[in-house]
Order: sequence, then C-alpha cells, then structure tokens
Amino acid sequence: MQGKDTPACPIMKIGKPFASTRNRIAAIAVLAVLALGGNLLGLILGAPAGLLPLPALPLSIPIILASYWYPRRGIPFSICLAAVYAVTVFLLSPPDPLLPFTILPRAVFLVLVGGVVALLATRLRESEQQMQEIIEFLPDATFALDREGKVIAWNRAIEEMTGVKKEAMLNQGDYEHAIPFCGERRPLLADRLLRGEVEAGNPHTLVSETSVPHLRGGKGAHIRFTATALLDANGNVAGAIESIRDVSDQVMTEAALRNAGRQLNTLSGILRTDLANRLAVLYGYLSVGVMKFDDPAVLSFIDDLHDAANGIRRQIEISRAFRDIGRSPPGWMPVQETVRNAAANLPFGAVSLEAWTERLDVFADPHLGTVFTHLFENALAPATGATRIVVTYHLRPDGCAIIVEDDGTGIPDAEKERLFVQRAESYGHGLFLAHEILAITGITIRETGTPGEGARFEILVPQEGYRID
Amino acid sequence: MVPGDSGPAPRPEVHELTRTEFALADEVWRDYHGATGDPARDRIFAVFLDGRIVSLARCRRHPDGSMEVDGVFTPEACRGRGYARMAVGALVTACHNDDLFMYAVESLTGLYAEFGFVSIPERDLPFPIRERYTWAAGNMEGAEVRPMRRRAGL
Repeated sequence: MQGKDTPACPIMKIGKPFASTRNRIAAIAVLAVLALGGNLLGLILGAPAGLLPLPALPLSIPIILASYWYPRRGIPFSICLAAVYAVTVFLLSPPDPLLPFTILPRAVFLVLVGGVVALLATRLRESEQQMQEIIEFLPDATFALDREGKVIAWNRAIEEMTGVKKEAMLNQGDYEHAIPFCGERRPLLADRLLRGEVEAGNPHTLVSETSVPHLRGGKGAHIRFTATALLDANGNVAGAIESIRDVSDQVMTEAALRNAGRQLNTLSGILRTDLANRLAVLYGYLSVGVMKFDDPAVLSFIDDLHDAANGIRRQIEISRAFRDIGRSPPGWMPVQETVRNAAANLPFGAVSLEAWTERLDVFADPHLGTVFTHLFENALAPATGATRIVVTYHLRPDGCAIIVEDDGTGIPDAEKERLFVQRAESYGHGLFLAHEILAITGITIRETGTPGEGARFEILVPQEGYRID
Repeated sequence: MVPGDSGPAPRPEVHELTRTEFALADEVWRDYHGATGDPARDRIFAVFLDGRIVSLARCRRHPDGSMEVDGVFTPEACRGRGYARMAVGALVTACHNDDLFMYAVESLTGLYAEFGFVSIPERDLPFPIRERYTWAAGNMEGAEVRPMRRRAGL
C-alpha cells in the first residue's frame, strides 16, 4: 500500500519512526497479527466463559492506523480484518445460538471505525492538497517550514528564482533552504519565527529587504522577504511560510525616478535663477522708463508691462513651491498641529482662528501645511473682510471632510469653477498648488460657501485616509 | 513670584480631549450619574483652569449618525463663572456641521437657547436619543428635561 495514498508533502505527521511507507505497513501488520493472534490464542487455549466472544476492540488500532495513513485502502482493510475476526471467533468459540448476533455487530463496528477514519483522513488530505496547490501556484516565490525547520513546501516560483527543484529541497532541514539566497546555512525570517523571535506590533509576521548577489544569473537582485507564522488550533507556532519577491525592477524604477526628479529640479532651478535675473533687468528698464517718459500713454504701457512682469514673478514662486511636492512619501499627519504650524507665521491681526480637529489624523503629503497656509492667506486678504476662521471636520459616508470657513465676503459663483485651476491673478492664487498637494493621496477640495456670507472650503479625505485617535 | 503674591489669575482654556484624556473626564463625571466617555463615539470638550477640569460637555454620535449633546457638567465649586458656556460653545462650534439634539435640563434651556437650540416635540428626536427617556413615558415636565435641537451651521 503505497503510491497515491501517500501524501507528497505531509504537513501533519504522526511521529518520526513512521515517516516511511515500509515502517507504516510493518506497524499495521504487527498490530493486526498481535490482535488476531491474541484472539486465536485465547480461543485455542480456552478463554474464560465471561470473555467470550473475545473483544474486537484491539483490532480497531491497526484499522485506525491503516485508514489514517492509507484512506483509500482503509475500508477494504477493515472489512478484511473484521471478516477474519468474525470467522475465527465464530468457528472457534463454543456453540451458542446467539453467537452470530454478538459477533456481527462487533464486525460492523470495526468496518465503521475504518470508514469514519478513512473519510476524515481523506478530507484532511484534500485540505492539505489544496493548501499545497495554493502555495504551488502563488506568483511569489514561497516556501514553508514545519516546526522542526524542515521544508514542507517549495513552490514553482521559487524553483524558477533559485534554480533549485522541490525534489531536492523538500524535507531538508538545517537551514538548507537559506543556501540559494545566502550561500550558507543561516536562519531566514521563517526560522526566526519558529524560534519565537517576534517584532512589536505584529507578532506573527516579519518583513525585510536585502540585496542577494547570487540571483539573476549572478547579476544580483533586490529581494523582499515576508514570513508569517502558521499557528495550530491552540495558537502555537506549528510552522512558518515565507514569500520572497524580487523587487529589483521596482527599486531601480524608484531610483531612476528619484534621479530624474533631481535632474529636473536642478534644471528648473537653473531656469528659475536665469529667469529671475532677466526679470530683475526688466524691472530695472521699467523703472528707468517711468523716470524717462512722461507721456501718459507710454506710462500706461509701462504699467501694463510691470503687471506682466509681476505675473512672471509669481509663476516663478509657484514653480519653486512645487519643487519639493511629492518628493517625500505621504504619511499620517496630525491635522490640529498642522493647522497650528501653518497659522504660526501668518499675520492674523484681529482675525480669530478656531481649530477643532484635535483627534484627527489624515494620510497626506507632508506639504499639507501649505494647503492651510494658502487657505488662510486667502481668508486673511483685506478684501475678504473676514473676522473669524473656523476649522472643523465632518464625518460622512464617503470620508471625512475638513472644513475651513470664514465670515468674509465669500467667493462669487462665477469664480468658483476656476478656483483650483492654475492662474496667477485674483483670489485663487495658491489654490491650484493646494489642490495638487491634496490630490497626491486622493484628497479632493471644493468651495461650497455662500457668496456674501463667507468662504467655505471642504477638503474631503477618503475613508481609508483618515483616523480619529 | 514673590512670596505672598498670588500672581495673575489663571485663565480658563477649552480644548477637545484626546483619547488618553478621557479618563480625566470620567473622574469629573463621577458626580454626574457616573457617566463615562467612549472614544469611539464621543467628542468631549473640557474647560481647564490651572490644569484641572472645571467643566465638561460631550457630543455622542449614535449608530444612526445622529448627534446628541449631554454630559454638560460643572462641579459644584466651579459653577457660576461661565465655564459651562465655554464648554458648550466649543462643542457647538466643533460639531456645527451636524444637527445637534439633546434632552436639556429645564434650568439650562436658556443657556442652550443662546447657542441656537430650540425646543422640539419629543417625537422629533432621533430614536436612539429618545430611547434613553422611555422611562419618562412622554412626561418631560415630570422628568424636568426638554427635548431641544440645533440646526447645523455656525
């Protein structure tokens, strides 16, 4: 009895000595012979009348083992053993008309035991097989260890990555699985989990990244390792599974993007400086022109040129502010502190600021403060006539709205649509920048105030982008 | 500070309590029906004087999204100095984006009216809020409370 019934990669094992098929068959045979032989011996030597017919219970042990180890053969085996038991006991026991009614239920019991154990073992094998197949076809290179550190799964992707076939790796221990990655036997993350090494916050998962020079045909690869403990029903570590992802392309792309960004910044910085220098020259000529000419038409023309030069200067300022946006990764930002910092350097004068966002954090670009700075600057402009700025938040089905409102003149309906588009003049100066900063993490902004009653900006943070501590 | 000189009187300050400060409110509310704050549902506004809480107000979000104002409490020794007005004012500003409901104690309805609360029939209260006073069987006068509502807006 071997072959298809034998699990290719047993996750559950009953003792080391019975790992091989030969030992298992021998154990079943010995137990069956002992149980049947004991019965025969008792019958031949003459067992006490009270013990007759001899019990069938000892026979259930080889039946259970056979049905568990070889589920497909479990029922035939138990039928055979039950038949042998029934025939021998019937023939060798003293004649009794009730004997068949005593023996038959015991034989049926033995068959039932074999059937139930075979059924449960089959289900267990199917479950193990499913897990094996899931691991086998995972896109990430993956291996699994049992609690002794032996490899119990080594999938197709890891074969391709390392060039080591599963036949060579399964059931290997002593850190054999680390050799393809480290060139030596040493514990990987899965081994550390088996040894009980945990990290605060997530006790059953470890993550690390490193460069592995052996991979990619010796060219080296940047690898991300992620290991998770496999727990038994009592929550104890029964094994560990580790996936290995080659993130070389991602790392190289990020590095290339960083380099490109750096170069673009350098280039735009040079252009900005050059433009500013030429602008200074232009301002100089304009100043001279104002002194040199007294014709009102020419002076008006110079005034227009001056306004155009101011527009160019503002564009330079905006491009300078854009320089750093998106360069640092987004993170959780405490809104109250961000609002306070944004307001700290602005001339509020008699205008009051009330911020009620103490427990709110949002996932945003680190330049979130610039958004509030621009909103406050617009509210503080003398033309708005605001005396009070209030910052609150409102939980909604689609997220959390941070609301910045004032009691100034508000924004005319005609201007609302163009409020967040790039332009140099009027109220919306800087709001385009605010819009772009928020958009990095999927946050939107709109103006919903009533003209004449005050401006009201609603910054809508998506559900996954806010938390209330 | 010169010995004997009491220095400038401390100024009361109001702010919203963080999760870790909720225990401070629970301590003060011990004399107010033993109320306790729940960080998952409540926003609590406290007036501090010299580092200790002198007045509290709570806004609770119910499962249906309705907002209830309660827990407005000033310890006996601190009353009559406008601290409750500060706490309620902060709550109303911070939570003004929603309609606010409450069972107001009769003696304080005037205070709440200053913040825009108006009396309403009990049936107009959202169910989760109304449910708290089912024991009064509609006899609000007997319970010495009055259902009130404040429309959203500053």
